[in-house]
Amino acid sequence: MRGPLLFSDIDTPGLASIETYRKGGGYEAASAMVGVKPPGECIDVVKASGLRGRGGAGFPTGLKWGFVPKDSPKPRYLVCNADESEPGTFKDRELMEKNPHLLLEGMILAAWAIQAHVGYIYLRGEFEYIQQILDRAIAEARAAGFLGPAVAGRGFALEIHTHLGAGAYICGEETALLSSLEGYRGQPRLKPPFPAVEGLYACPTVVNNVETLMNVPPILKNGAPWFRQWGTEKSPGTKILSVSGPVRKPGNYEVPMGLPLSTLIEEHCGGLLGGMAIKAVIPGGSSVPLLPASKLSTGLDFESMVAAGTLLGSGGVIVIDDQTCIVDALWNITRFYEHESCGKCTPCREGTYWMSEVFERLERGEGRESDIDLLSDVSDNILGKSFCALGDAAAMPVLGAIQHFRDEFEFHVRERRCLVNRRAPGLTERQAEAVPA
Amino acid sequence: MSGSVRVTINGRTLAVPAGTLVTDAARMAEVHVPIFCSHQKLPPLGACRICVVEIGMPKRDREGKPVLGADGAPEIAWMPKPQTGCTTTVAEGMVVATESPGAVKARKGVMEFLLVNHPLDCPVCDEGGECQLQDLAFAFGADFSRMDEAKRTFVSEDLGPVVKKEANRCIVCMRCVRYCDEIMGDDALTAHQRGVRTEISSFDRRPLDCEQCGNCIEVCPVGALTALPYRFQARPWDLRQHVTICPWCSNGCSVRLGVRGAEILRARGTEYRGVNQEYLCVRGRFGYEFVNREERLSRPLLRAGGAHTPASFDEAVAFAAARLESIAATHGPEAVAFLGGEKLYLEEQYLFQKLARGVIGTNHVDARTRFVSPVPGAALLEATGGGRPALSFSDLERAEEVLVLLEDLQGEAPLAQAALIRGQHQLGVHLTVAHARRVKLARPKFRGEWLGVKPGGELALLHGLTRAALDAGDPPDLPREIAAGLPGLKGALAAWTVERAAEESGVPAEALRAAATRLRAAGRKAVLFGRGVAEHPKAVALLLAIGNLGWVSGALRSDGSRVMYLGPHHNSQGALDMGLVPDRLPGYVPVADPDARRPFEQQWGKSLNRVAGMTAPEILAAAAEGRVRALWIAGDHWLRSAPDRALAERALERAELVIVNDLFLTDTARHAHVVFAAAAFAEKEGTTVNCERRIQRAARALAPRRGARSDAEIFTAVARALGASWSHRGPEDVYREIARLAPGFAGTSWATLLPLGPQWSREAPVGGALAPAEDLRPAAGPADGLWLLSGGTLFLQGSLSHRTELLPRLAKPGRAFLNPGEARRLGVGEGEALELAGPTGALELPASIDDAVPPGSVFVPYAFPGVELNRLGSPAGAGLRVRARKAAEAERVER
Repeated sequence: MRGPLLFSDIDTPGLASIETYRKGGGYEAASAMVGVKPPGECIDVVKASGLRGRGGAGFPTGLKWGFVPKDSPKPRYLVCNADESEPGTFKDRELMEKNPHLLLEGMILAAWAIQAHVGYIYLRGEFEYIQQILDRAIAEARAAGFLGPAVAGRGFALEIHTHLGAGAYICGEETALLSSLEGYRGQPRLKPPFPAVEGLYACPTVVNNVETLMNVPPILKNGAPWFRQWGTEKSPGTKILSVSGPVRKPGNYEVPMGLPLSTLIEEHCGGLLGGMAIKAVIPGGSSVPLLPASKLSTGLDFESMVAAGTLLGSGGVIVIDDQTCIVDALWNITRFYEHESCGKCTPCREGTYWMSEVFERLERGEGRESDIDLLSDVSDNILGKSFCALGDAAAMPVLGAIQHFRDEFEFHVRERRCLVNRRAPGLTERQAEAVPA
Repeated sequence: MSGSVRVTINGRTLAVPAGTLVTDAARMAEVHVPIFCSHQKLPPLGACRICVVEIGMPKRDREGKPVLGADGAPEIAWMPKPQTGCTTTVAEGMVVATESPGAVKARKGVMEFLLVNHPLDCPVCDEGGECQLQDLAFAFGADFSRMDEAKRTFVSEDLGPVVKKEANRCIVCMRCVRYCDEIMGDDALTAHQRGVRTEISSFDRRPLDCEQCGNCIEVCPVGALTALPYRFQARPWDLRQHVTICPWCSNGCSVRLGVRGAEILRARGTEYRGVNQEYLCVRGRFGYEFVNREERLSRPLLRAGGAHTPASFDEAVAFAAARLESIAATHGPEAVAFLGGEKLYLEEQYLFQKLARGVIGTNHVDARTRFVSPVPGAALLEATGGGRPALSFSDLERAEEVLVLLEDLQGEAPLAQAALIRGQHQLGVHLTVAHARRVKLARPKFRGEWLGVKPGGELALLHGLTRAALDAGDPPDLPREIAAGLPGLKGALAAWTVERAAEESGVPAEALRAAATRLRAAGRKAVLFGRGVAEHPKAVALLLAIGNLGWVSGALRSDGSRVMYLGPHHNSQGALDMGLVPDRLPGYVPVADPDARRPFEQQWGKSLNRVAGMTAPEILAAAAEGRVRALWIAGDHWLRSAPDRALAERALERAELVIVNDLFLTDTARHAHVVFAAAAFAEKEGTTVNCERRIQRAARALAPRRGARSDAEIFTAVARALGASWSHRGPEDVYREIARLAPGFAGTSWATLLPLGPQWSREAPVGGALAPAEDLRPAAGPADGLWLLSGGTLFLQGSLSHRTELLPRLAKPGRAFLNPGEARRLGVGEGEALELAGPTGALELPASIDDAVPPGSVFVPYAFPGVELNRLGSPAGAGLRVRARKAAEAERVER
């Protein structure tokens, strides 16, 4: 058993087929709830469980469902955000690949709760092979009567469709995702109106992450108190963390919320590869500020991370060892955001470009004393001024890095080379490797 | 949202309407909050972030009461991040700070970002001097740049003949893309790529396939999109800028002309002013060029024998006066007729008919030279509610249902089309377009209904709609005098079942019923029509039918009219209002009514002719027969506008005296004995009345071309030479006389007409009765041949548009548009010559295949140089049918 809840049976052979899934109790929650329990009751149970969105923002799921207007004459939509575009995050991929029916059952229950008759799974473009797995699962579920005109044999209709994105990070942002799903440029929309009121095709829409939706069937089957046996008061349940970097056993781990970060790295992942030490950890995907090694005892839950000056985010734990240059790492991240900025708002579009250019100069060994403050100030001018959170995501890591590792930046400027790998100015990493020591 | 809320901006508290955006509230508070992506006609976007401000709300305790601080003032809970004012609506008690340290830092930060990739090539940028980015950089920007990395660059592009694109300057506010989509309905622009490499262009990077209106240039806050015709022509501070009224259609847009010396260098819209604000169509924006033309007439011409000889103004006036006097004396005043004048200013129109009636003594006055049938002078006003308060463009945008009757607004009324597209897109207007062709507004994109009426079935269509509306029950709240006609109308329409109307109009009965139901049910509605009705051979019957439909559907009500007439020229409405019709004095006073006539007689010091004169088509025939011996044609290329060119040529050749006022020596002017060199619209001051019946004053932007005089001066000089004691000193005096005499204009004053004058209306409406047309049956046309459909085009309107370089180039050569099936039948391909033969003449022009044209017809836009449709013969009955064949074949047969 790799984890207490979603990972309890994840490696069961053949779990992706409906027979195996049902043998393990699959679709029992859907059969018990849809057309039997009032939708409001489903929402109440999810509210009581304290389930928070696993996509990054940690918004209470039951509350989100409750925002859907009950009296709207328009159709309602359920959208599963399976864009999983946050660098360092690869949990939804494994979940969908191995247990697609759990996602479908979660969507059936969510759709019943908000009374949506159409659901979409928005997959990132690279997940074409997962689309095939999901489409097969949808066909199986339909044949078994869990999707279609009468879910579980009761008078509730639901169809689920998969949709592939075209390769944009921003489409993980829920309103940009909806624009993309409608066939427009993937750019975020003004909020309010929030999707719960005006989402897909200007109709009430709930957008939930894959992991979030997968938590719904066990919660509705076993009840809120059962779910609360894991995690903290404000962050109940478990979280799947995608650990990358020079640890002995990188991969996805399901742990109770609140587990100290150091326990995850040292015990679950077996610590770092030989001779390496941790310099910092990015705990929630590339868009959150990094934690210096001194704060590794922080608990992996929403509120502890905020208290430590960062965010739990999507759970993409990126371990940075002492052989990694922070300036180089941040340049890499900044280039990513420059490339992925949708261009809608000025601070993100221009600021990420500017920062990327300054980083490049630092890396070339042509940095100036003023560049460090310039990077801070440019980040600060993006932070909180951009249209959506992408700008913040680009700014926060830079601010965090300068706060904790200013000495590395200064070394770059002063010595015109890197503090860590002593690379000569103007050489790329690859070129430096080719130079004999 | 209703009521008002109190908001405090930089310490100043004011009440603003609920739902106001913070940026607009700031403007009301006289606090400057810069904007780039925000635009008054587009929904909030919040992209550029330049309008960031700090916003707070009063803290409230558990009971909802404001928490007071130590000083007794409410404590403010400030939002953690700065907010964009262009996307935030005000709330009661909201506090806004635009100059707090946080707001200033945020704004300066955005300003710096905007310049990160901006080339700062202001010295060579056409926008320099009136660039919002430049102005803001002066106001908020630093005097040095912290950004000294390489800027990303794009290659500049010409997006067709009018739009120049320098993407390096673009700040990605998306105004151009959104305006093109949401207001022009063209969707010609898009953004390529993303992030800092976002670049605006056409979808396929080929020249823009659009109306070429240049509104994308107008709304561009920087120099990313500039106008090719104006490129490198001037700096804005070298231009004198004057707001005048656009001369190209009945919409009456305010246009800001940029003049240097004696030359107009550009035309722009007027932000926040006029009926159009920033909007102009392609003609309004690029059509000013005719004013600058070298070949303008620069002195009067006289023709005694064969050739014209130049003359002084005084000589020309003396000659004209003497000849007029002698003809009137010998053959009676009714041997003199006055034509044209729709393009004159209101004061000039008034003087023109005053000259005819008050000096010469004839009622043969008609500006409506294009009309095929003799339409009573008040018929158009009666069809639009008799002078009851008229609807406005903003009513049009906010309507629920709009019926466009037999008109292609793209060519005839571009602003009305833009208002409807915006209304459809943003405010949910539903469109019903009745037209033989699937014109732009009838495209599926605008989600309306297209009633594809058969040529010749126009009257049947109106009967069908009226009958269907009547079938739903008697309309409520009809004024008594209108209700009295209801039984008569019902009787007349008894034979017109919706099914029969469907059969004869070609529009399915269900579509007729649905359209009538929508129109009747809508609370806010409008019915639009234009020259497609007025110049129809059955115009009189059609106008009565429109009046009937208006009353039955509730578009006409005792308290106001929701029926709009879009005339062919910018002051066509003024010409009707000023009595440039044979049977009405200014203000629609009947010439035959002695009591109503008296004030005019007193003012003009002459007893007036009480017999209604002849209409334009009647004058045409009378002049050709020699019954009318003198013709004065003001600002009208009659040979092009008269319904029958052959007849008009005979009339001009036969007349003893032809006087023409014009800017150019047109073919019509060549026939004249006296040609007065006239001033252009921009060279004189005056008022116009647009299709909303809005009276608007146009400023003089430049002095008249040397040797040219305003039409008012010409009429006045001739009148005085004829002994009239006209004492006015300028248009203001004339307007005062109009306001005194013309019902509807009373109470308006010259001083209040700028920038957006009042819409005139009258307490005692003219006419008004449900009047079944005498001839209810649409006449059958000739049995064979193709129906000749004509209509306006966007790029060209009238012969003045031929006097520009750009407009004919945009329009490409005139063509005859054929349905693909018809083209196959005739064996004619795209671009091949097609011969059209009518009763009196033939015409050869290239064919073009267009599936928007119905089978059995050929569509020839009238406004092209060399396309003189009136050579084919005058439309009669329900229209004109022509024989078409492939031209090359015709030649072979002849040989």
